[in-house]
Amino acid sequence: MIIEICDSAAIPEGEIRRFEPEGFAPIAVARHEGRLYVFPDRCPHADESLAEGWLEDGRVVCGVHFAEFELDTGKVHNPPVGCPNLSFFRCEDRDGKVFATLTGGPEYV
Amino acid sequence: MLDLLDISKPFADLDAPVDLETERAITRWLHAEVRLLDAERYQEWLTRCIDPDIRYWMPDMETRRRDDPRGMFAYGEAAYFDDSWKELEIRVKRYNEPSAWADNPQTRHLHQISNIEVNATEDPTLFAVHSVFTNVRNRNEADQDIVHGRREDVLRAGPGGYRLLRRRVFIVQNVLLSKNLNTFF
Amino acid sequence: MCDTGCAGNAGRPNMAPVYPKAGRYPDYARLVDRNRAQVDRRVFVDEGVYQAELQQIFARSWLFLAHESQIPNPGDFIRTSMGEDDVIVVRQRDRTVRAFLNSCPHRGNRVCMVDAGSKARGFICNYHGWSFGIDGGLRGTDGKVYEKDETFEKAQIGLTPVAQVDSYKGLIFGTFDPNAPSLLEFFGPFTFYLDIMLDNDEGGTEFIGGAIKSEIDCNWKFPAENFVGDILHAFWTHQSGAQAILGGGVDLGKRYDELAFQASVYGHGIETNLDKVGNTRTLGYPELVDYVFDLSERARDRLGDLRSRAIGAISSCTIFPNFSFLPGQNTFRVWHPRGPGKIELVVWTLVNKNAPDHIKELYRKGVMMTFSPGGVFEMDDGENWEYSTRVNQGFVTRQQPLHYALGLQSADLDRDLPGHIHKGSLNDANQRLFYTRWAEFMEHDNWTDLQNGETAPPQKTASAAE
Repeated sequence: MIIEICDSAAIPEGEIRRFEPEGFAPIAVARHEGRLYVFPDRCPHADESLAEGWLEDGRVVCGVHFAEFELDTGKVHNPPVGCPNLSFFRCEDRDGKVFATLTGGPEYV
Repeated sequence: MLDLLDISKPFADLDAPVDLETERAITRWLHAEVRLLDAERYQEWLTRCIDPDIRYWMPDMETRRRDDPRGMFAYGEAAYFDDSWKELEIRVKRYNEPSAWADNPQTRHLHQISNIEVNATEDPTLFAVHSVFTNVRNRNEADQDIVHGRREDVLRAGPGGYRLLRRRVFIVQNVLLSKNLNTFF
Repeated sequence: MCDTGCAGNAGRPNMAPVYPKAGRYPDYARLVDRNRAQVDRRVFVDEGVYQAELQQIFARSWLFLAHESQIPNPGDFIRTSMGEDDVIVVRQRDRTVRAFLNSCPHRGNRVCMVDAGSKARGFICNYHGWSFGIDGGLRGTDGKVYEKDETFEKAQIGLTPVAQVDSYKGLIFGTFDPNAPSLLEFFGPFTFYLDIMLDNDEGGTEFIGGAIKSEIDCNWKFPAENFVGDILHAFWTHQSGAQAILGGGVDLGKRYDELAFQASVYGHGIETNLDKVGNTRTLGYPELVDYVFDLSERARDRLGDLRSRAIGAISSCTIFPNFSFLPGQNTFRVWHPRGPGKIELVVWTLVNKNAPDHIKELYRKGVMMTFSPGGVFEMDDGENWEYSTRVNQGFVTRQQPLHYALGLQSADLDRDLPGHIHKGSLNDANQRLFYTRWAEFMEHDNWTDLQNGETAPPQKTASAAE
């Protein structure tokens, strides 16, 4: 099921925002070079908020232990021991709105 | 300039050990050099052991994270020694003064040199020599300072024997655990 | 701990910063005998006095932290000390500078183990992975347990901030006392003298080449008082260094009687001649002497005649309690206390940002050759301070007074300069005022008394000085 998350304009370039859609765990929406990325707002290592981190060189940086996740692949760099890659939800930017498929969890890595 | 003589650069791989005879000669030279220092014969050390083109560097060691590109030391930053002949000569002049109080009464010195590796270089008159040292200075009744470190030397063979052309000294301390450095390494 | 806690009713920790309260130590204050110009040697060896110093002086004074140039960008940091307290000084994303105790509020381990670094994202404790942002706030933990613990209140946990941080012309200071007066009030009109080094040219100053640290087994006050006003020692202690570099002894110049003086405000003190280049000359590089001569000429409009003559002159300065520098030689240093009988000395080299690169390089080498552990001047200082300290382990020895009475009649009431002025730089006047300030800190538990005692600047107009 595709649900509407927010206005597209609510996600400026280079920023991450946290949303709490009803019935789902909190998600993070980021924009890098115009493109949108939607992923669970908890780092795979310690369940910390990734929206409290930041974007740097095409990666999401976790503000807690500084793991870096590639936006295109989810591949983790500089991970604390045991920190897996990041997964993303399918999303689209349509008619000035951000939509994402949240059912079934993040689908692709 | 050869990389070998660039004071800011480490030796490349030490993979060209010299013949035994050269190694023995240079080992003897290193032992004789520190015997002059232990005897506080600094003027003689300068004139007999040091090449006029000497570069003599001992950087300050900082503690940095492994991922910090600066590393523990950097040429051009703080150093205990970053000397040419002129600076070494000034230091020796101070030792020659009776009022050099840090050395009067006399300090008991010891330099122990080991782990000597002598390597040939692309220039047949130049040798790349790695060694480690222990330096003990003991003064008055019970004042004792011990400094350990390693050295990367370039020796030049000439008509009068070997001369020190370049020396990089790396001590294994961050805060210098001594009030001064009234010696050479 | 478990009297009430094990049943699950434990009170939650109050993690708000704790800034110590000052006390009153009149018995210690009396160890400085102002009427007899003598100092009781117990101030150099007594553990009780030392602990009182940490409370009364180092937990209240503005202490030097860093030069702005050491941490230019957000996330750039250095680790240093305030007294014996380990602190991190870090540039924030909004370009301000903050400082924090380097101790995790969980089990106390240091969260920063290195001397310095650039563009840090934060500081993670090696013990349990507690992670702090460069703003000091707790960002998160390791192990996925705190998030599930309903009583855990992350928002109120963080590294303890240094209560106030401020800078003066490139130099950053901090104090643990939220009630301390501003940095400018702490200096008072002594800034007039700081500007000799900090504002003698366009463009400001910078530290070059990092720090050199060493240990000396002496009480921190011996080097501090030495720089506050003891040029006298240079003749005897440093004869060998002067001979090596200058080929002669220390010379204060022909116009000494007319020009040399000491100035003191709130225990900060400078002794200076006005010989233009006496200090710079001892660095051994003629190019530096030429540079300072030119600089001195250029600075006349900026600083006036008197101060422009002091830029490179034979002089020394201490900012109370433990930050010192030598004008002209450009060495800046802190004497961090490490117990009553030990210091960690940290030295830096300051230059004008707009100085040519080869001049900066010569300052770096000149300071190394003179005022670093292998330098021909500093070499001979350490042992003096060590034995001035150590002999006082003798029970009878430490009953004996020390003489601080040179220049008792030398107050200069005519010269219109800021602060307490005494004639001649060969004088114990600044050292007496340094120890008077020390006694004020021991005596008073409040800043009103601290800022209005004997060391406070006499009322006169600083602007008339030029």
